[in-house]
Amino acid sequence: MAQRIVIDPMTRIEGHLKIEVEVENGVVKDAWSAGTMARGWEVLLKDRDPRDAPYITSRVCGVCEGVHAIASAQALDHAFGTEIPEAGRIMRNLFCAGLYMHDHFIHFYVLSALDYLDIMAVAGYSGNDAGLLALKDKIVALVQKSDTSPFTPRYEPDEFSVNDPEIVTTLVSHYIKSIEMKAKSQKLLSIICGIQPHPNAIIAGGCTATPSREELIEFRELWEEQVKFVNEVYLPDVIAVGTGPLLPLAAAGLGATQGNYLCYPMFPQDAPTSPNDYVLGGSNPLVGGGAIIGGELNPVQVLDFGEITEAVEHSWYDYPAGVSALHPSEGITEFDVRKDGAYSFIKAPRYNQEPMEVGPLARGLVNRYPELMDLINAGAKAGAVARHFCRAVESKLVGEAGLAWIDRLIELATAGPIIGMKDKLVPRSARGMGAWDAPRGALGHWVDIEGYRIKNYQLVVPSTWNASPRDEKQMRGPYEQSLIGCPVPDVDNPINVVRIIRSFDPCLACAIHLIDPETNDIKVYKVS
Amino acid sequence: MDIFELRKPELTRRDFIKAAGAALVLLGLSQALTPKVVKALEEYAGKPAVVWLEGQDCAGCVESFLNSLEPDAVSILLDTISLRYNETAMAASGYQAENALAKTVEEGGYILVIEGAIPLAEDGLYCTIGGKPFKDIVRECAQNASVIVCVGSCATYGGIPRSGPTDAVGYLYRGTQKHHYYDDVGNKPVINLPTCPLHCERLVAVIIHYLTFGTVPELDEFQRPVAFYGENQHENCERRGHFDAGRFVTDWGDPEQQGWCLYLKGCKGPWANQDCWKRLWNNRTNYCIQANHPCVACSEPEFYESVSPMYERQFDVELPGIGRVDIDKVMWTIGGAVAAGIGLDMAVSKATGRWKGNGETKANKEGKES
Repeated sequence: MAQRIVIDPMTRIEGHLKIEVEVENGVVKDAWSAGTMARGWEVLLKDRDPRDAPYITSRVCGVCEGVHAIASAQALDHAFGTEIPEAGRIMRNLFCAGLYMHDHFIHFYVLSALDYLDIMAVAGYSGNDAGLLALKDKIVALVQKSDTSPFTPRYEPDEFSVNDPEIVTTLVSHYIKSIEMKAKSQKLLSIICGIQPHPNAIIAGGCTATPSREELIEFRELWEEQVKFVNEVYLPDVIAVGTGPLLPLAAAGLGATQGNYLCYPMFPQDAPTSPNDYVLGGSNPLVGGGAIIGGELNPVQVLDFGEITEAVEHSWYDYPAGVSALHPSEGITEFDVRKDGAYSFIKAPRYNQEPMEVGPLARGLVNRYPELMDLINAGAKAGAVARHFCRAVESKLVGEAGLAWIDRLIELATAGPIIGMKDKLVPRSARGMGAWDAPRGALGHWVDIEGYRIKNYQLVVPSTWNASPRDEKQMRGPYEQSLIGCPVPDVDNPINVVRIIRSFDPCLACAIHLIDPETNDIKVYKVS
Repeated sequence: MDIFELRKPELTRRDFIKAAGAALVLLGLSQALTPKVVKALEEYAGKPAVVWLEGQDCAGCVESFLNSLEPDAVSILLDTISLRYNETAMAASGYQAENALAKTVEEGGYILVIEGAIPLAEDGLYCTIGGKPFKDIVRECAQNASVIVCVGSCATYGGIPRSGPTDAVGYLYRGTQKHHYYDDVGNKPVINLPTCPLHCERLVAVIIHYLTFGTVPELDEFQRPVAFYGENQHENCERRGHFDAGRFVTDWGDPEQQGWCLYLKGCKGPWANQDCWKRLWNNRTNYCIQANHPCVACSEPEFYESVSPMYERQFDVELPGIGRVDIDKVMWTIGGAVAAGIGLDMAVSKATGRWKGNGETKANKEGKES
């Protein structure tokens, strides 16, 4: 007989997610992913000055924050026809690369690791390292006072949990270090963007910050420290855990979706070669975009933004009668919080009518990260462990690429004051799109300007793709697919379910689609 | 220096006193109070329980809290407080998380931190956790809390969500107005720490203050600590000389104008009461204006609708009691500023009430907490 398990709140994510699974014979038979919070970003952006959008959309999420500001700024640059200065493009790239590094390692240690460690094994540490002994004393003292929040309560560790005291204590010390490194990352990034979280200096036209040569030299030193942490602590830990205790999960492909992957280009290293490039912020992206359908990697499909649609069949919105799916730029949305058959505030984005996994694994497969290919050749399959692996690999990639970008910025700052902005007037009427592959995946912003004001603003965000509910064809979204077949030997301890969901790095404030109360006005928006 | 080094027995007495003094600097209090802090922290036996709720939030405030470097966030989490509930950090999922919350609420006497706005529309269905509307979770947790700290503009006044369709409010305020939705909870001390996002140092300082003195610090009319919100950006701005001399950025791409006043780029500094200009952000590194981005007065209840457009000087200002004022029609000068209508902005604001151009807060004026 099937048993239904509800996990709400899904913790150690961003935002409000409910996961429901049906378990039979110790295995998940069916699953539902629900976003349970909505704020209405589009409503409040309507009729606003378009230039407000990057600041405001950054606040869609306080974890990935600035990727929204960048995608928004790109949409405005595209609409306004602005080629931003080289320094502005470099500062935006650096912001994102720095964000990638800390967002990814915080995801591994602070958001995910507790599902793979038996933290109480720290009490058994018997080595000689002074730092690890001090950590052991601290944890033991907390245990003795019966106050180990927030590490308890927790699901019981299973046969895949790491319980070697030396490894666990080392990983916990890295968990603690990662929080300090994240604070330092945001400190260094504030040099080029004003404050963190939320890089206010990144706006339409570029980036307002004008760091001096001295500040950039300090920036570079702090950056090197981040890259060192990635190379010497984070990446080795992921490799050790992924190819060690978690190899059985990797080999089983635990948490794989059905083989569809989507990613957009990011980190444009050169100036735009045509106005179309404004959508991506420039040309020659460090990491390319594309689509994979049904696991077919040869060849990867060329990206076409026109193939994106969103359905609301099982979402708390109404579409006009007879309409089941719309391109995001058409933006007809109306809240209906008591709609029958609906179970989520998240809409169902589809690409060529397919649900698509976005994020590190999509990037890794589309771009064939060599380390991922090696891992797959060694027997690992796409799934939860591969996602963690790709995050660590791309953190190294973008962190090291950033060093050359910083050097170029120092060159510019030595030649004269940094100019990161190209001021442009708001056009009376224009349309634009901005795209970037955020840490969690494909991110798109669409803006429609009329009478110098925002007529329509739309976002389709990575976690909208991944956390999507079923669509009008009853096709499950990626989270829902990934849970089918997941082993749940004990329904009171569904630890594999949370391992899988957290491997996507959910960000639900991002996922919840934005609402537009204008219901009857359908405008066709042609994406160039 | 790690403030929470105070707890370690091997610290010398001199280091201990030095660290206690540093805690007071963080609070903006006189170091003459050092002996009191030392005594309180020495005597403090346990770790106070903290429940940290997130509603219609972006998690920017908890992310900002984790940015604390002096003292570092982990010391606070492991040594100073007992974080019983926070969905971003806790190990527990689903029913285990719900149970941890229920148990702490039953015990009572915890510090309640609220992050994110509270949607009231549609019976609170725009934000549910475990099937329960967030607005009801807030009530249950507030009832047994010993003190409530609202972090960020959303939990204080409703923030950016307030201008959306879900009737999003802060714990006490819907913008400038008290909404009374939680009056039945009774008189709890409430400390508001707006800006978007929270500045970690303000929260850490408030926690230290509470642990040391057992009370909330002096608060203004919006329950914001006067220590952090009692001074005005414009009065203290490092670019004020440029404002007075009439040097304004009109083109961000012009290197000649770098460092000039951002008033014509929409700076709402004259209306912003905070200490960002003094405290800076991210461990004394930078802040909006220093990065050439105008202040948007995110510390104030009017944020966000009334500061929009953020990058335009407000030509058409709607002011309570006066109505619409077309500032472009009038030429004024105040303190040497010659750009059209700037002086009128200030004078009109002074005359009407909430937004004061000269940095006076109600608390300062009356010489006491409101």
